[in-house]
Amino acid sequence: MRTDNNGDQIQEPVTKIDKLIHEPSRYTLMAYLYVVEVADFLFLLRQTGMTWGNLSAHLGKLEAAGYVVIEKEFLGKKPHTTVRLTDGGRNAFEEYRGNMKRVLDNLPAK
Amino acid sequence: MVSDINLKEIQRKVYMTFFQDGLWDIFLGLFILGWGLSILTEAAYLPGVSFLGIYFAIWGIKKWLIYPRIGYARFSATSRRRITARFLILGTVVLLLGLLAAVMWSIGTRPQWLADYFPLIFNGMLAAIVCFGAYWARVNRFYLHAALIFLGAVFHLWLGIQWEIGFIGSGGVIVLIGLGILISFLRKYPKMVEEVHSEDRQ
Repeated sequence: MRTDNNGDQIQEPVTKIDKLIHEPSRYTLMAYLYVVEVADFLFLLRQTGMTWGNLSAHLGKLEAAGYVVIEKEFLGKKPHTTVRLTDGGRNAFEEYRGNMKRVLDNLPAK
Repeated sequence: MVSDINLKEIQRKVYMTFFQDGLWDIFLGLFILGWGLSILTEAAYLPGVSFLGIYFAIWGIKKWLIYPRIGYARFSATSRRRITARFLILGTVVLLLGLLAAVMWSIGTRPQWLADYFPLIFNGMLAAIVCFGAYWARVNRFYLHAALIFLGAVFHLWLGIQWEIGFIGSGGVIVLIGLGILISFLRKYPKMVEEVHSEDRQ
């Protein structure tokens, strides 16, 4: 990391990066949920190629942060789980993308 | 790089899941088949009945056969309105085309060129509508379907095959293509039941 008089200015966008979203699997999940209104577990599983356990764990973390809402129901005897982004999650995702863009834009050209 | 994930590409990938099962190909093929059968049997109601019947059947099949394999996602209200509007526009144009054809066919005296080339004009317009659908949906194989529909009239005019047989042939080939895609889809995606991993949710 560069340290000069403008050090704080350079570091600022980096420190603002949401580490919860920064993890690639969770970023991918957030991106999918950002473009749809609601998706079920199976859809996210197929699209992302994660395992049930992985998907469940990552969504659990996003739910704990208030970024997604997970709703469980039974269709007949089969469990069915749907997930959607909360308004806070949507805002956090937009903010994350903005911050990442600023970080990358600040990098010197090769 | 994480930030390089293109949201538009993800949106497109999600959107394409609606077409990857071949059901819309089967829908189009059966509709064209219905049109051919309506000319053959002079039952003018067949295209409309087949359009509505197959449309609702497809949603039922999606729920029963497709969603348990690839899951379900619902687009935002804005996207849904846009998709519905496009489908309604296409449906209305097809309906108007059918009415136009019925009116033109019922007129006793019509110019000779119109009588001669009516199948070519009609199939050309139908193919153009399918091309618009292919462009809107960004599903390239629907351009092939449009070409098949147009070829039905070309074969009628230059090879002497009956017009309705051209329709039935084109529709049949499109249905077969759709069935092939559906079978491949069913093989690729077996049915899955959700697993419960409560211990992971910590």
